[in-house]
Amino acid sequence: MATTSSSRTAHFNRPEILREGRNTVTAIDSPPLPMRDPSDPRPDLAPAIKVEHVTKRYGHATVVDDLSFTVQPGRVTGFLGPNGAGKSTTMKILLGLASADQGRALIGTHLYRDLPDPARTVGVVIEADAFHPGRSGRNHLRIVADAGGFPAERVDEMLEMVGIADAADRRVGAYSLGMRQRLGLAAALLGDPPMLVLDEPGNGLDPQGIRTLRDLLRARAADGNTVFVSSHLLGEVQHLADDVVVIDKGRLVASGSIRDLEQTATLVRTASPEILRAVLESAGGIAQPQDQDALIVRGLPIEEIGERAFAAGLVVRELSQHGGSLEELFLDWTSATPSHAGTIEEEIETR
Amino acid sequence: MKWSCLVRAELRKLTSTRMPWAFVIVLVIISALTATAVIAGTDMDGSKGFIATAADQQSLMAFAWNAMMGAVIFGAIAVAREYGHGTVVPTFLSAPRRYRAVLAQQTAVSVVGSLLGGLGAALTVAAVAVALPMTDYSFMLSIETTAQLIAASAFTGAVGAIMGAGIGAVVRNTGGAVTGAFLILIVGPPLVVQMANGAASWVPGTLAGVLSGIGSEVGSLAAIAALAIWAAFPAAIGLISTMRRDVA
Repeated sequence: MATTSSSRTAHFNRPEILREGRNTVTAIDSPPLPMRDPSDPRPDLAPAIKVEHVTKRYGHATVVDDLSFTVQPGRVTGFLGPNGAGKSTTMKILLGLASADQGRALIGTHLYRDLPDPARTVGVVIEADAFHPGRSGRNHLRIVADAGGFPAERVDEMLEMVGIADAADRRVGAYSLGMRQRLGLAAALLGDPPMLVLDEPGNGLDPQGIRTLRDLLRARAADGNTVFVSSHLLGEVQHLADDVVVIDKGRLVASGSIRDLEQTATLVRTASPEILRAVLESAGGIAQPQDQDALIVRGLPIEEIGERAFAAGLVVRELSQHGGSLEELFLDWTSATPSHAGTIEEEIETR
Repeated sequence: MKWSCLVRAELRKLTSTRMPWAFVIVLVIISALTATAVIAGTDMDGSKGFIATAADQQSLMAFAWNAMMGAVIFGAIAVAREYGHGTVVPTFLSAPRRYRAVLAQQTAVSVVGSLLGGLGAALTVAAVAVALPMTDYSFMLSIETTAQLIAASAFTGAVGAIMGAGIGAVVRNTGGAVTGAFLILIVGPPLVVQMANGAASWVPGTLAGVLSGIGSEVGSLAAIAALAIWAAFPAAIGLISTMRRDVA
């Protein structure tokens, strides 16, 4: 990855040869992946990724459970969940590396395996360590370029772009985790695809590398590309992503724009927080104690919270909308998964 | 994606690590041992009858069965470690209908297996040719027979590599794949012979001998067809299992 701002800027200028190539492929061969209108910050476009009621079981364990969500083009979408939540499995199903027991996951309007030219349509980082340790970084990229039918010049360009050109002829086994992540990112970008699906791409990167990765992904989204990235680095996702999809135990717990999500909680102050908590949770809300006399409530509209408190005969001293950091929200969602998880759009609609 | 691109990628995979060179070193060692045996070895009666006639020399230099065994191990390791290192993932992302990737992989390992088999035979012939002047005997094989030995080894090398690729795709673990390869080539054929009278003519070792011109149990074309069937069986199982299974 580049270490100077000037080189970063230069790196974002994608080669014309592949831009033309991609456009040609998109126009003739590939399914139509919607592109963002730069004048409209949130256009009403068809989803670039659509996951529909996907369920995946390994033996008796349900790893992904009736999961549905969409990812919009021109946005960076963070895919969040605790370890073992089913993020990687969902991505593998999306990419045709694993089969769903039920449901389907679409790229545009196609299953991944039905894409006419998948390597030019989706750039992927799915396994941080999927390299032969005895092979050089350059040869790894040459293999990916051969398989994808990309020009050989792209290999050197990508090595330069991700900042490992000096180590290109060293064996990957001698690379640090951060260098392997950069190599994986270079492979994902070889075909200059309009969509990136990245599983924990920031693992092992130093702060400079994370900053460059963030700038790169933001720039690609700004160009109308789709970026779908899983991460457990919540602070990084908060800086990087426009939208998030949060899953826990294979189920959706929240999805929507970070800005909206951070404004969807309600602060309630009452003399009887435990009683009110029981009342609200019985109504399907998630209530987390805040102070001695306060609760942070999600999943119920503010009016309903007031009405239920009144019906229970509880005195409410404060009832107001409450913002929270992504980390607070994430911990709330994943420590108390509601029985009827819904999207933030549903939650907002109830307000 | 063009299938030729996938084959090129698979060939680059095979040639961008040290594994083929390790096999070349083994071939050099085997040929050196053969030369040493020619110079210093004798039969039980103390004579050098094993190199006394053209037929004896042809039998000594028949490398096809060795080529097949070596190529099975080569193919098994080449494919199994693809899964072990996860490098099969980018291939399947480029060719999500995996049969194309698997066929490209089998094609590539068969090419390299064929080259290794042919090289092994050529090195053996060369070693014997160099060693024979140090004995009382001369090199007696015709060019046609020498070419037959090399061609037979190249063919069985290709067949063995495809068999190994199939085993590697099923087992997906390098140690297990090598073990499976030995079981199929060393343990399997005797069992087949025990179960079916007359099957001895159709086991890989016998068929390799036929192609090398040191056996006549079946015709050459029949031997080629039978070896192709031996290769097709594990290759088909490998293809089917690859198509059906998730990539871990």
